[in-house]
Parts: sequence; C-alpha cells; structure tokens
Amino acid sequence: MCPVGNRTTRLLPGECILNLEHIAERLAQSARQIVQADAAVVRLLDENESAGGRSLSLAAAVGVPKTDLPATVPLADSPLDQAALAGDIPLWTDAHLLPPFDAYRSAICLPLAEGETVVGTLQVYAAPSGGFDSQTIATLTPLAALGAVAISAVQALRTQGELEAEKAHFIHVATHELRSPVAVAQSLLRGVLKGYAGELTPQQRELFGRISRRLDLLEQLVNDLLDLAAGQTSHGMGEETAVIVNASVGRAVLLLLPRAEEKGIELVYQACCDELVAWGTEEGLDRIFVNLLSNAIKYTPSGGRVEVTLRSIEENGKKEIEVRVTDTGIGIPPEAMPHLFETFYRAPNAKALNEVGTGLGLSIVKDLVERYGARIEVESTVGKGTTFTVIFPVYAHS
Amino acid sequence: MPKILVIEDDLDMVTAIRMPLEANGYEVFHAATGEEGLQKVKEVEPDLIILDVMMETTTAGFQVSLQLRNPDPASEYAAYRDIPILMLTAIHTTTSLRFGPDEAYLPVDDFVDKPIDPDVLLEKVQALIR
Repeated sequence: MCPVGNRTTRLLPGECILNLEHIAERLAQSARQIVQADAAVVRLLDENESAGGRSLSLAAAVGVPKTDLPATVPLADSPLDQAALAGDIPLWTDAHLLPPFDAYRSAICLPLAEGETVVGTLQVYAAPSGGFDSQTIATLTPLAALGAVAISAVQALRTQGELEAEKAHFIHVATHELRSPVAVAQSLLRGVLKGYAGELTPQQRELFGRISRRLDLLEQLVNDLLDLAAGQTSHGMGEETAVIVNASVGRAVLLLLPRAEEKGIELVYQACCDELVAWGTEEGLDRIFVNLLSNAIKYTPSGGRVEVTLRSIEENGKKEIEVRVTDTGIGIPPEAMPHLFETFYRAPNAKALNEVGTGLGLSIVKDLVERYGARIEVESTVGKGTTFTVIFPVYAHS
Repeated sequence: MPKILVIEDDLDMVTAIRMPLEANGYEVFHAATGEEGLQKVKEVEPDLIILDVMMETTTAGFQVSLQLRNPDPASEYAAYRDIPILMLTAIHTTTSLRFGPDEAYLPVDDFVDKPIDPDVLLEKVQALIR
C-alpha cells in the first residue's frame, strides 16, 4: 500500500510518488541501505522563518523511533544540520551524541540540495567509531541531490494545489459579490415596472424595460463567466464522482419546462429505462444539459419542438451514453460552425434575435464535456433545426 | 393584516420585497441579521418569514431556519416552529439544481429566486399564508 495523504478519490497512477512523507521515507531507507548505516533521518527546512530564525521539520526517520525525535528543531540548536546547510559537510567518526543517538559514534549530515535549491538535510548514523569516511559522503551525495529534486518538485505541486484552492474560494466569494448588486437592481426595477412605485408614462416604461433587459444580460454574463471559471478549476464544480445521467437530464428538463411552455414550445423527454452512470460532477452534468436545453428553447420559434433523448449505445464493444437535444429552431449557419465553442462567439442569426445570450454557454459545455472524458457533436440545417449530441463513456464500477 | 418578517441584510432588496407586499395589504417588518431576525420573530410573531441565505455569514439564513425549526420541545423557538419560511436564494438555479425544500436538509417551505419577480413573490406568499 502506498500512502496517499488526504486524497480519497480517484487515485492517479503514480500518485503515491507525490507524497512528501513517502519520498522522505524512501530517501532515508535508501541512504541507510546504501552505506550500511544504522539510522537515517530526513529533515525539511520550514518555508517560513519564525522569530527564532529558520527551523527544520522531521520528515522521516529509520533506525530510530520517530516519536523520540522532536517534530521541529530550530536550526540554531542543531550544529550538524547547520554545518551541512552552510556547505561544510560534517563527518563525525568518534562522537558522543545525545539521546536518542547516544548508541552511535559515527555521523554524517548532507544538505538536500540541487543547485540553488536547498530543501533540508539527510543525516546517517552508525554505531562503531570510524563507521564512515569521505567515500561515504561521495556515495550519498548523488542520492541527496536526487532526493532534493523530488522533494522540491512535490513542494511546487503543493503550492499549485493551494493556489487552485484559493482560486476556487475567490470564485465563490465573487459569485456572491458580483451577482448580488445585479439581482438587487433587477428586483427593484421589476417592482417599478409592475407599477408598485406609481404609474409610469409609456416612455418611462419603455426605457425601464431597456434597462431591465441590459441587467438580464449582465446577470447572464456574470453567471456564465463564473461557471466558466468554476469549470476550469478542479474544485469549482464539486468533487468528481459517478453521476446518474438520467437524473441529471431529468432535472434539466424539469427546470426548463416552464420556459418552454411560456414560449409555446413542446419539450419532449424520451427517458431511458436503464440507469446510466457517467463520471463527472452533478453540478457539471446539470450545467451541460441546462445550457444545451436553454439554447434549444432560446433559438426555437414559438410552436416549435425540442426533444431530448437518452440512450445507451455500443460502438466497437465500447459502451457509451448518448444524450441528444434536437430542436426545430433557426439552425446554425455553416460558417459559424468552426467558431461555435469559442468564448463570446455568437452566430450572426442568433445575434439578430431578440434573445439574451453571452456566447459563453457552449464554451462552458465544451470545457465540462472534455473534463469528464466525453465528446460533443453538432448537426444543423439553417431554418430547420439543430441537434447537439453528448456522448459519455459508461462509468464502470470497479 | 397578515404580518411578514423579512430577514435580509441588503436594504435595497428589502425595498424590492416591501413594495409589492405592502401594496397587497401585508404588514412588513424587517431584520438585518440572523440574530436580530430571531429576536423579531418573538416580538412580531409573523405569519410568514422571508429569509435570505447569505447575510453576516454565508450560511446565516440556514442557521436561522435550523434554529426556528429545532424539533426539541424545549427549544426557545418551539412556539414559532409552524411559521412558514420562504427562503430567498440564487443558489438553486445557478449551482445545484437538486437544492429544494427538504426536511432532512433544510427546513424551509419554499424558495424564491433572486432577482425577485413581484408576481412570483406574491404567488408564493399567498400560497404559504393560508
């Protein structure tokens, strides 16, 4: 078994190599083995300097119980580490050491360094006097350098993970801060338009109506931008897991049914009897289907029809899930096809309609579809209608 | 005249809610924080509570609804447990679509989306105050 830190889902191949403690442990074991030492200790330099100067944290110990060693030591209190980090590698051959190292007479301490980057120290101990010599240092030096490379790589990846978490937090805060004023302005304006602040002249009504439409667009834009940003961070759309596609499509249909009815469009859902499971997040899958359906309704004239079908398909022995959204709408001109999934792109015939659109909905869909290992296809005839097909690999229980 | 307590920290949003409600014969009271809201529930004894989710904290509204609906008979809000709660939120249209009235998860009676449509608000208020 390989320790994987606090990650519990989706173990990636080689993920255990990305665990700092695991690397330090392997480094200490290898060092002890190579030079036939009795004990080895790996300490890592703390990134932040405290009031008492820099300190080292215990990362691994073999041959001595980890519990006998302090979790952190100030660099000033550890002459062995201090000398090694200063570039003066200590080679002690007849030392009298403090517990828990009092059984050892020989000690070496090497910096874990690669070029300019110093990440910590590697100490090895042997019981007899004269247990080590300069050859021992020469043997251990490449190992220490290799360890330093691995450790600094993992530290860099950790920093990246923290940045990603910060980005997700920022999006969460921005979601509220950006949406909130728009929602308040719209709520007030709707009250005014309904006459709750007194009778409006026809001109006022017309102008307030225009403001309201602008705010609708702004709201849509804020929501889409935040969805787009959320979809591009791994935390943004929740934890990836097995998702029941039937339920997700059902929710999207239910959400958009009122809008279809309002516009006089027949929304038909051909549900599939089997439960079909794909890999993704509920929020992400919901967003894909809501965006596709809302586009279909938006770009289909009154009296038209939007049909959603869900089925299981098999191609070359590979089981897949197919979701199709077919409309009898305005269609997509051939020249618009190559740009369809570009951010902020809107087809000329879509722009000409009096419908709110940001040109971000399909970018969001494409990002999410790719994230979940699915693919999207589109067929369209201008004036006849459009079919979007999303195909997910079946998630196999293991 | 039915009494409605609006627990919402944004005064402009309170105005937007107040306009259609007062025009339709409801008496509107206001509290700007969850804590003040709980206090006002006791003072006003409203017929309906309209509750925002994010106020001083991102879940202040949830806390208020959980306190009011605490099933413990010794709860200080036991007398107010049956007051219907209409929750204001933008959450269930924008993120999780499965977010709905669910006794086990969130004890509220209905949701109304921000931005508020006066007709939708009135319809939901009328349905909850019987």
